[in-house]
Amino acid sequence: MGELKLLLKHVDEPGIENLDTYEKLGGYAGLKKAVGMERQAIIDEVKASGLRGRGGAGFPTWIKWNGIPKDTSKPHYIINNADEGEPGTFKDRELLLKLPHMVIEGMIIAGVALQAEVGYVYIRGEFVESAQATRKAIDQAYKKGYLGKNICGKQGLNFELYIHMGAGSYECGEESALMSSLMGERGQPRLKFPHAPLPVIEGVWKCPTLINNTETYAAVPHILANGGAWYGAMGTERSKGTKLFSVSGHVARPANYEVEMGTPLLQLVELAGGVTGGALKAIIPGGSSVQIVPADQVAGVNLDYESCSAAGTLLGSGGCMVFNENTDIVILMKRTAEFYAHESCGKCTPCREGTRWIYKIMERIVSGGGQKGDVELLLNICANIDGRSYCALGDAAAWPIVASIKHYRHEYDYWIEHKKSPVGPNCIPPVPEVMNPLLTLTPV
Amino acid sequence: MAEQTQTANSTIGAAPAAGSHRFSAQAEAELAEIVSHYPEKKAAILPGLWIAQREYGGSLSAAAIQEVADRLERPFVEVEGVATFYTMYNLRPRGKHHLEVCTCLTCACVGAYDVVHKIEHKLGIKPGETTKDGAFTLSEAECLNFCGAGTVMQVGDKYFGNLTAENIEAVVDQLRASEEHTPMKLADAIVKLHLSAGG
Repeated sequence: MGELKLLLKHVDEPGIENLDTYEKLGGYAGLKKAVGMERQAIIDEVKASGLRGRGGAGFPTWIKWNGIPKDTSKPHYIINNADEGEPGTFKDRELLLKLPHMVIEGMIIAGVALQAEVGYVYIRGEFVESAQATRKAIDQAYKKGYLGKNICGKQGLNFELYIHMGAGSYECGEESALMSSLMGERGQPRLKFPHAPLPVIEGVWKCPTLINNTETYAAVPHILANGGAWYGAMGTERSKGTKLFSVSGHVARPANYEVEMGTPLLQLVELAGGVTGGALKAIIPGGSSVQIVPADQVAGVNLDYESCSAAGTLLGSGGCMVFNENTDIVILMKRTAEFYAHESCGKCTPCREGTRWIYKIMERIVSGGGQKGDVELLLNICANIDGRSYCALGDAAAWPIVASIKHYRHEYDYWIEHKKSPVGPNCIPPVPEVMNPLLTLTPV
Repeated sequence: MAEQTQTANSTIGAAPAAGSHRFSAQAEAELAEIVSHYPEKKAAILPGLWIAQREYGGSLSAAAIQEVADRLERPFVEVEGVATFYTMYNLRPRGKHHLEVCTCLTCACVGAYDVVHKIEHKLGIKPGETTKDGAFTLSEAECLNFCGAGTVMQVGDKYFGNLTAENIEAVVDQLRASEEHTPMKLADAIVKLHLSAGG
């Protein structure tokens, strides 16, 4: 266990974002192999790898691939979810910026395996620099014959790849909302299975649609080139391979690190140079949507789906945020609540209303206006959001608050009783002034 | 965040009469190519709005939204609904440089508010406001997902990383003299990302 560079092996190689260098270092070998294989054999390699979705949910990738109908009475579509928006996560940004060919190659292999002739890379609007690198790579791949008609010289094998830019919405990282956005709508989620068909049956334009995260596609060329069993030999029993973790916050060397699944969380923190500015207080291991883990409980946590679950948190998207002892958990959670109140798409009442109420109460507490019973009120609101909206944004707004109350109830109580931070006047983040009046509940 | 103040009614106004179109020949050709990427014209609403944001000088007026609706044969209210949903569509003019400072979790913990305060002091504006000379608009941003380089600021098509209260003033001064990273340059860059090199 520990650092294991598979996707990031050549990330610092000058020119790796260009096709020639990428190919010289082994790139497109997976695609060349795939075009000579039976379609089901490609899916079987992905199955053997044990790869699970890297966007946050950890759903087995091959099940999605295998769920795409074998008949082509309707067109099939391949979508890359590059709408990276989870606070604390910055891995897809780097993959698209430095290793765009790896991502593209994974998408083309999916197209070959699933008889899709069109793919879209949905990139968040803010990621212009990453999208420009991806644009250049797509153009190079067309020129080289890896995209377009008769790819890799195989008659009748076609794959067109387009970029579709978002325009500022966290919610579009949710797959059904992303599909809405791709089809020209507001980025709002749709009814899910079992109340509606899965995207692999009816996705965009009611056609079979594969939607995977950028990092998931980036793993595919390696699996095809080296074999699923080879990939599956890395990691733990149920969490295979490697995973990118974006480490940020109070560490000496914040950056993306690739580790074998199952690596101890504290080893990741050491890779990033250790905690700075004081002793460790807490870690949010998988992006802002997952539960905070206090310092005295991080020792047993390993970076795989099962270990994180057992510790009462989630591996999520791999956005690992490290906080030192000067961090005020209540202010941190107030900022988290602000994020979800701002990003709720407004479709489902419990999330739309609940996220704003959570924010309003959190703001009241850190403004010195906390009242006895506020903590119970927060828990009550969270319980009435969790599981009551179309997508997981509502859940993600509730879980961090509930976990922070579970572990740091004393800090909430201190704020409510003493009207000041238990950490002291120099707490992190600083005690908010009324900087952002826009989320107060007055009409604008 | 700052974008939350934008509401459809306060800025856009009623749908204008059709017919006063402003897209250049180049914009028409770009839209035609983008439409060809999808089985339905409707899917080109987001890129169409990006084209309109560039063609109409960096923000979307009612006329701009109407033009996208006309060209894609969709109702005005549908396109307006999309334009008002996404934070990067400007429903009113921005300053020449739009400073969007991330104050989300990591950045908030590594000094983002100090950066915002420094800009406030230097430019005499609060988040959500534009300087009188129209040079700068300041906003707080939600996570820009470059947390390894916090504090991060987006200005048009560029990210600035590792900002602190000490180095932010020099960045602002550089931007004041720059013609790059404006709202129109951002819209143009995003439109071009949809187009193949040959197209």
